[in-house]
Amino acid sequence: MTDGLDEIRQLVSDVTEVPVEKLTPDADFFRDLNIDSLKAIEIVAAFEKKYKIVIPEDDIPNIRTIRNIMEYLDKKRE
Amino acid sequence: MDWDKEEIKRILPHREPFLFVDRIVSIEGNERVIAVKDINGDEAFFRGHFPGRPIMPGVLIVEAMAQTSLILYHVCKPEVAKTRPEYYLGRVKAEFLHPVYPGDRLFIEVKGVKITDNAGVVDALARVEDRIVARASLVFGVRKTS
Repeated sequence: MTDGLDEIRQLVSDVTEVPVEKLTPDADFFRDLNIDSLKAIEIVAAFEKKYKIVIPEDDIPNIRTIRNIMEYLDKKRE
Repeated sequence: MDWDKEEIKRILPHREPFLFVDRIVSIEGNERVIAVKDINGDEAFFRGHFPGRPIMPGVLIVEAMAQTSLILYHVCKPEVAKTRPEYYLGRVKAEFLHPVYPGDRLFIEVKGVKITDNAGVVDALARVEDRIVARASLVFGVRKTS
């Protein structure tokens, strides 16, 4: 798993304004953190920009937690 | 290429006096759209903003950006756009750098950041001649109508 946990949490926090301490690896963006679908798209856009990757539209519904993001980025780097 | 107002009206649900796109002057693939709005001074909002000192309200520059974003959305997602979905603004982060006066020609440039079936994230800027008068990032939602 990537060692960029803090970096990922900070980026999600910047976009969503959810405090970093609430962004535990398995907190569900929608169910636990009240992040709506537009904020979720912003998260995706922020990660695409920062890591210079393209996240296909079909993958977006599967990105619901910080852990999902870490695993997704690891897979993209393989 | 140029789109005139009639072509724009085929895409945007907005109508005068709340249509803030006169022409589309450039479409670059699925990435960028440039629109023009001529501010002629007859617009109703100048009567109150402000009497004797007309300045285009910044929120209406943002509205012009949002409408141009929907043109970009139509270019990127024609299958979704042709179903005439509802569009709604979710978030705007804007900076206003210079006032816009009657007689100005406003160029609105919108660049897609992420466009999906359900939403769009775009970066926009507004220019008068070579001067950037406002820039913003916008997030909008697309809701299918049944």
